[in-house]
Amino acid sequence: MIFSRQLLRPLLMMLMLIGSAHAEVRREDPTESMVRQIAKDLRCAVCQNQSVYESNSELAKDMLKIIRDKVAAGEKEPAIRDYFHQRYGDYIYLEPTGQGMNALLWSAPFLGLGLGGYALWLALRRWRGQATKEAADASQAPPSPTPDAAMQSRIEQELKQVEM
Amino acid sequence: MNGIWKLVLLGAVMAILLLFALGLKNDPRDIPSPLVNRPASDFSAPALDGNQTVSLSAQRGKWVLVNFWGSWCVSCVVEHPYLIELAAKTNNRPDFVIIGVDFRDTPDAAQAFLKRHGNPGYTHAQDPDQKIAIDWGVYGAPESYLVDPNGTIRMKHTGPLFPGWFEQRALPLMQGNAK
Repeated sequence: MIFSRQLLRPLLMMLMLIGSAHAEVRREDPTESMVRQIAKDLRCAVCQNQSVYESNSELAKDMLKIIRDKVAAGEKEPAIRDYFHQRYGDYIYLEPTGQGMNALLWSAPFLGLGLGGYALWLALRRWRGQATKEAADASQAPPSPTPDAAMQSRIEQELKQVEM
Repeated sequence: MNGIWKLVLLGAVMAILLLFALGLKNDPRDIPSPLVNRPASDFSAPALDGNQTVSLSAQRGKWVLVNFWGSWCVSCVVEHPYLIELAAKTNNRPDFVIIGVDFRDTPDAAQAFLKRHGNPGYTHAQDPDQKIAIDWGVYGAPESYLVDPNGTIRMKHTGPLFPGWFEQRALPLMQGNAK
């Protein structure tokens, strides 16, 4: 046990040294960042919500290869995105574009928020109106209505019965 | 006033449930292809048998059924008997031709598939790195496109072609075009 612990420390040190010796600065091909940028927003058509860049499926791998070839051939990003959009439709983008019917999709939450706010404002105004009206009614009304003579005599009669 | 709001709420809930029910009936695989009514992109690839080249543009002037398949595809086994039947039935039609595109496959595996399940007899293009398939917006196999004599894609069928597909789906389009 002691032996293994004694051995462990130098072994770890050695591993770290070997690691750092081999860790050269990896310079990525500058076109690769563009490939990644395009592939990350393309849906892998046969997977559940994975991008072409993340997926291991054959279709995604071949799509990635096509993107690489196109980038290498000097095609621009919008043109490559368009290539896939023309073939697979809106579905290919992981993030829906803001054009056409999708504009409605994007604006619907804000529209809903606005409508809700307006409804709330209307409701609040009505409640406040009611409250002030009630307050005004209360101040105008007599503090406590005095029972008329007939009622007074009836109450006294009842009281007498209770006492008996 | 209260009654109206209750009705509005009920209507909204019903509408959401209705949309939900309609959505459940949709086949998630059946995504409408934006390629329908667009010019088909031409391809030219080595044939599966022999050393000729298969190209779509060589069939201009005919209706072309382009069938994407692979020996690795299970549903293609289900579809295969109909393809054999269809090929035999339309063999003497001058206006209709079938091209298979064997994608993500090796020639050996594809030949073995045809040997085991029968050879319908039409030509197949090899597409090992599925360049043609992606160019045609293919998700999986089998998928079929019907291309008209002008080279425009008129229909996409996702999944196996079913017996009677030609009469029910293809012929109405072909006759409509002839008028």
